[in-house]
Amino acid sequence: MQRAESIEPSQRPIPLALILMAVVVVHLPLLLMKLPLKSYDANFHIFFASHYVHNWFNPWNPKWYAGFSQTTYPPLGQQWTALLSPILGLDFAYMAVQFTAILLLAVGVYRFSRLWVSPRAASFAALASVFLGSESFLVYSAGQLGTTCAAPIYLNALPFLFEWLRHGNWRSFLKASVLFTAAAAAHHATLLFGSFFFAVPILALVFLDREEGERVSTPAFVIRTVSIVVVVGCAIAIVLLPFWIALIHYPVTQTPIPHPSRANYILSPQWGLNYFIVPYGALIVALPFIFLRGSAVVRLRPLLLGFWVAFLVGLGGTTPVGHLVLGRAFEVLTMERFSYWATLLALPFVGLLASELVDRYRTGAVVGLTVAAAFSCALAVAWAAYKPADAADFNVNSVAAWLNRDGHDQHRYVTLGFGNKVARLAVLTDASSVDGEWNSGRMLPELTRHGGGALTSSKYFGKQGLDALREMLQHADRYGLKWVFVRDPYYDPLLSFAGWRPVDNLEDKTITIWSKDGVPPATPVNAPQMPPRWQGLMWGIFPFGSSILAILVVLIPQKKHYDSRGEVSYTADDELVSGRLAS
Amino acid sequence: MSKGLLLAVSLGAATVALVAMGTMWPIPAAAAYAGGGSLLRSSSTPEAAVQNLGDEIRMNAWQKAYDSLANKAQFTEPQFVHDLTGTYPSLRTYATLENFDVQPLHASTDEAEMRMNLHWSSVVGAFTSTRDVHVVRNGDRWEAEWPIEKEPVLPPQVIPVNYLRWDVIYRGAGDDWGAQDVEAPHVRIVDMHPVQRAEGVVILGELLNEDVVPAYVSVTATLQSKSGATIETEGSFDRISHILLPKQVTPFFINFPDRTLSEVGSVRMTPLSQLVPASADPVIEIQDERLNPAPDASLTGQLSNQSGQVVNVAHVLATFYDKNGQVVWVADQYIDRALLPQTPVPFSIHIPEDLARKVSTERTVTSSYSSGGTQ
Amino acid sequence: MRPGLTFLLGSLALAATPLAMAQGANLTVPKSVEAGNAFSIQSAGSGKGTLYIIGPGDLLKRDVQLGETTSFPSGALYNAGHYLVILAGGSSTENASFDVVPASQPANLSFLAKPSRLQVGLHNGITGSVYVFDAYQNLVSAPTPVSFELTNPAGEVQKRTVTTHDGSAWTEMDSTAKEGADRFVARAGGVSGARVIGQVPGDPCGLKMNAQQQGQQILLETAPVRDCSGNAVPDGTIITFTETYDGAESTVDAPLKRGIAKVAMPAHRGARISIASGVVMGNEIRWEK
Repeated sequence: MQRAESIEPSQRPIPLALILMAVVVVHLPLLLMKLPLKSYDANFHIFFASHYVHNWFNPWNPKWYAGFSQTTYPPLGQQWTALLSPILGLDFAYMAVQFTAILLLAVGVYRFSRLWVSPRAASFAALASVFLGSESFLVYSAGQLGTTCAAPIYLNALPFLFEWLRHGNWRSFLKASVLFTAAAAAHHATLLFGSFFFAVPILALVFLDREEGERVSTPAFVIRTVSIVVVVGCAIAIVLLPFWIALIHYPVTQTPIPHPSRANYILSPQWGLNYFIVPYGALIVALPFIFLRGSAVVRLRPLLLGFWVAFLVGLGGTTPVGHLVLGRAFEVLTMERFSYWATLLALPFVGLLASELVDRYRTGAVVGLTVAAAFSCALAVAWAAYKPADAADFNVNSVAAWLNRDGHDQHRYVTLGFGNKVARLAVLTDASSVDGEWNSGRMLPELTRHGGGALTSSKYFGKQGLDALREMLQHADRYGLKWVFVRDPYYDPLLSFAGWRPVDNLEDKTITIWSKDGVPPATPVNAPQMPPRWQGLMWGIFPFGSSILAILVVLIPQKKHYDSRGEVSYTADDELVSGRLAS
Repeated sequence: MSKGLLLAVSLGAATVALVAMGTMWPIPAAAAYAGGGSLLRSSSTPEAAVQNLGDEIRMNAWQKAYDSLANKAQFTEPQFVHDLTGTYPSLRTYATLENFDVQPLHASTDEAEMRMNLHWSSVVGAFTSTRDVHVVRNGDRWEAEWPIEKEPVLPPQVIPVNYLRWDVIYRGAGDDWGAQDVEAPHVRIVDMHPVQRAEGVVILGELLNEDVVPAYVSVTATLQSKSGATIETEGSFDRISHILLPKQVTPFFINFPDRTLSEVGSVRMTPLSQLVPASADPVIEIQDERLNPAPDASLTGQLSNQSGQVVNVAHVLATFYDKNGQVVWVADQYIDRALLPQTPVPFSIHIPEDLARKVSTERTVTSSYSSGGTQ
Repeated sequence: MRPGLTFLLGSLALAATPLAMAQGANLTVPKSVEAGNAFSIQSAGSGKGTLYIIGPGDLLKRDVQLGETTSFPSGALYNAGHYLVILAGGSSTENASFDVVPASQPANLSFLAKPSRLQVGLHNGITGSVYVFDAYQNLVSAPTPVSFELTNPAGEVQKRTVTTHDGSAWTEMDSTAKEGADRFVARAGGVSGARVIGQVPGDPCGLKMNAQQQGQQILLETAPVRDCSGNAVPDGTIITFTETYDGAESTVDAPLKRGIAKVAMPAHRGARISIASGVVMGNEIRWEK
């Protein structure tokens, strides 16, 4: 028997199947443990999904803010969760959707990176995406299902965009258009900002490559660009029409709510740790390489610039860039998603660096890179435990049971000191609340007039939050607000002086129920914001339909242009010195 | 230098420059999280020293704040913290310093006098406390001398309490229709007076519990137009004493922002009374009440807790009458310090300048909150 | 009842309505039946038919032999009201109607007494309302005498007798001068209902306090506080002490304990001290020590 043993390092890419197996090994156990349920927003998405389970074609949800429209948030991830929930239950359906998004991310990163770097470097980039700190941070700590679903779809659309612009391939045009639309149905902001950070570098890349191989004339390039922008723009306008209508009729004019991702990470190092160190992890070490290589290789410069702008915006208030570039949107958006996008844009560089290090240092590099990747991933996953969204874990089942019995749900309720458990409670109870966790969906003037977030966490928003709470309690009769569930005695003096009385307690007296006498039963409010039936039908059909269409069109066979492209040098001219190249 | 390297250096330098800009001159959102300051402020002036002290208090950096004081040898760090947050749980304990301002009162080359107005945010509303801080030069730095106010500590003792308490047994859910229930307490609005103010229409009045049992009370007012249509309904919220013992009177104040009296045809008052369990303790004496004339017209006095129970939060409601005995204004104040037994705590309630001249007499009532029980 | 059957019977009832007031030629029904009593219906003719009796909350259906008497046992119909009888036999339909009237003997009283607590000495301050029901909870509409009795703890009794009108009767009583729990009883036929009316003292009357020096303070103490009828004002009633001196004022809201209110206030020479409870003023003291 012969044994073939190569002493040369392999130049082959890591098989995609192996990368997907890495996703399974790393993330599946964590998701089966339902780790994301401890994150900030996972329960929020599950709450939205729970509404779609029973009201697929009626986006008006009366359980928060005395009624709000779910057309204010793109529904794709939540609708898939709702669809899978009869089989898996809501929690595991959420995990399944999230898991699919992570799998798609690995594929998307590989395909996106292939536009910039070699297949081998792209495969390293895809493998790095499995351990990406920002991804784990968003999945396990932030719980941003929308962002983490939209980004992989968007990344998978970009190679088709390149194909269309570069080769005029109509199949690519179709696939790119449908995938972009599906990405928008998952998260609108990803598409909006992704266009600048991801798509513009692709346009620049096509422009730079236009003379190579199959030549692209400038007019053709312009026509193709305009055509896809128009088609995708129209498709998104139609698919998310109820969203745009809600946005135009009821723009987000409420007082900005402070968010620590807008802090200066040097003046507030605790937030720097949270929003920079944890999401970037070992990528921080690669930053000099990204700048040097991205600058040295002309073809990589558009990607570098895209990364740089996203990186600066993602630094929040550490630089004035985010404030200047985003304007008022800076006060509405949270910045961690920009860091996420920056890290995705950095992955082709990381793949390049990893392949070069492995080629050069072999086992040593593999060990080092593995440790760095594992550390980045582990830190971000563990961060949810070190700095949990809720310091105290407690069960809201008893609260839901109390609300659901003896007609208590005829009145509205509000919780104080429940943190992000309000979404979990809303899933379990039939009662309606004047509070909620979706700030852009709220319309009650008592809430929008003040720069406080959820009433349940009023005290953390200082005077603004407490003023909102006072005003809401003051208008309790108007909203049929009779019950206040208090898990933080901080609020007791206010309730006592405002004429509320403790009437019951739950969970070993850790939750006190306060009541106000003479409050009339709750009646529907916010009627003008209620979407008409046709919008409900659109909302139930088009966003979800776009994802089904995307699955179908992706199955259409595709000629792989980029694999047949001539070999491009990804190594800087400056580095072509003896002994520095991988042999 | 190659073009690539030049670009890399330019981007790197721009990044560093932008980070430096963002740190030296943080945007408002970032400054709020950083305690309002930047890295570069040193205590090189009396104002800067007091500003730094305020920032440290705002961020609850007690040790840093204490270490920066010139007179820290006169008291311990816990005493300093208790001065700001209270020894016993009180409004201060749960208040956060929202912002502060510093006014120079006097300055020389080696010392200065600064006034710190500390604007606190608490669960029952905002309040301001003022401290005059002496600042002294120490080399090239200035250091603040904190005007410590040591809160009295109760000596260990036993206080016998013999208080009255009412408990209520309500009718059961299974009782027949027509079965007798306990009667709601009889209350009566003894005075009601709508007033036009710059901020809107205000309904002032007084409510009496004329029953022999305690009452939970609240008052709702509905403004009706001349055609009888409802304009708006508002309640007294916390500007009323919600628990009234037998024969007790409370003022009430109902605010209708942005409304004018000219659009109002009538006002419908709806008092609500409910029989609730209650306690007659604690009894709070209001001492040395004085009406101080304009300018800065105010009602000042002291609250003295006559009971053995610590009152964590006290609320003072004052009714002001003209010489004919008509109610002209109702004002209130929450006391930010706990009321310890037999330990007077001052209060000061502002009276609007335009009404101060009309005020002839006043009547003050208190309500209180004690953790574990309310009245 | 199944919807289909309801519809059928409803249709039948509507079709028969113009004739319902008249006695059917071949159908003999009683003019009225006391709720819960047995009764019978006689039909004429031959063959088989179906008899329907439709009324408020009741529906009876019987297969009958025409020309025979159909008997209904006690308790078959017990809801008072107007009933429609329909006999469907072959191609013809006969109909008639009768009334089920409440039993004449009261079996149950709903007695509402208001208020459950009031001040002493109020004219017509107490209201009692009675609704008379039979054993089947039908309102007894026939005039029935109801006697009301209000007895105070001293055994003094106020009596009224009122005849019901459309099943209800009501009366007003005075609260007496003596505090305590009065027993308010309503009787009709052999049944009765009782309620307790708490008569509580009125406003304090002749409120008086005494003052004496106690170190640097004045100890103020009221005399036992009573209302104008001599009843002791209950403990917990708030007595307000106000001391005015040198343009300043001190106030204490003190609850009565064991019939008196006691408070210590700072001693100021020339101070005027007044006392009040609710809207009632008491005496005033000038402190000259």
